[in-house]
Amino acid sequence: MKTTFNLLLGTLLAIAATSTLAQSGPTDAQIAAIVVAANSVDIEAGKYAESKSPNEDVKAFAERMVVDHSGVNKQAVALVNKLNVTPEENDTSKSLKQNGADTLAKFQNLNGKEFDKAYIDNEVAYHQAVIDALDNTLIPNAKNEELKALLVKVRPAFIAHLEHAKHMQMSFK
Amino acid sequence: MFAALAIGGISSEGRAESTTHTVVIEAMQFTPQVLEVKQGDTVIWVNKDAFPHNATAINGSFRSGDIAPDGSWKFRADKKGGFPYRCTLHPTMKGSLLVK
Repeated sequence: MKTTFNLLLGTLLAIAATSTLAQSGPTDAQIAAIVVAANSVDIEAGKYAESKSPNEDVKAFAERMVVDHSGVNKQAVALVNKLNVTPEENDTSKSLKQNGADTLAKFQNLNGKEFDKAYIDNEVAYHQAVIDALDNTLIPNAKNEELKALLVKVRPAFIAHLEHAKHMQMSFK
Repeated sequence: MFAALAIGGISSEGRAESTTHTVVIEAMQFTPQVLEVKQGDTVIWVNKDAFPHNATAINGSFRSGDIAPDGSWKFRADKKGGFPYRCTLHPTMKGSLLVK
């Protein structure tokens, strides 16, 4: 319970950092770094869960996260290259990465069903946090129309992943 | 002779009426979500998302296999009926093919 709480707290801190940026508004270069960091964190968590979980459904979900978020990142990187934007690290992207690393470290102490539950709980919190960041900060502040369009287009994937994760969460209750 | 002509007539009429329809897979949705076609028509699913999807009939009538980003899959609707389908990779994605 404490572990789950800590994982959620980390995600909430990342959202808080995003909210701080919202006041000044991130630049497109900062948004690009946030998008890449957000996807990368979930790819790493997914790879870890794929190798660690004993549950076939959790493994399949984790594999889907790795494939889908890798696809989104590939598309995002292709766009920033096309636009000649160099992603600029910022408090939000750094916070997401740090939170991702902390989460993986905590996962190492968990096994079996306890790990599955913590992973899926974190996926629910993570996807909700990214959707909130997209809606409140990233999409409203994106200046370049193509970047904005990409964010709008990938949003449904985060919604679908959130629904999928919530559905799995129910099975652990 | 008459019979041959009649068969030829039916056959050419069948070809003339056969249509190809496209279902676009984008932003985690099948569009149109419900597609009505005539028996013998062809349906092409085009994946415009950045990751794979599939179109799998619930009753097993058709199964695209994973369609890569920018890839597509073609299916000739030879059997009449309603065919609800989904993307097995993403449980929230549902569509329906009606063959009349």
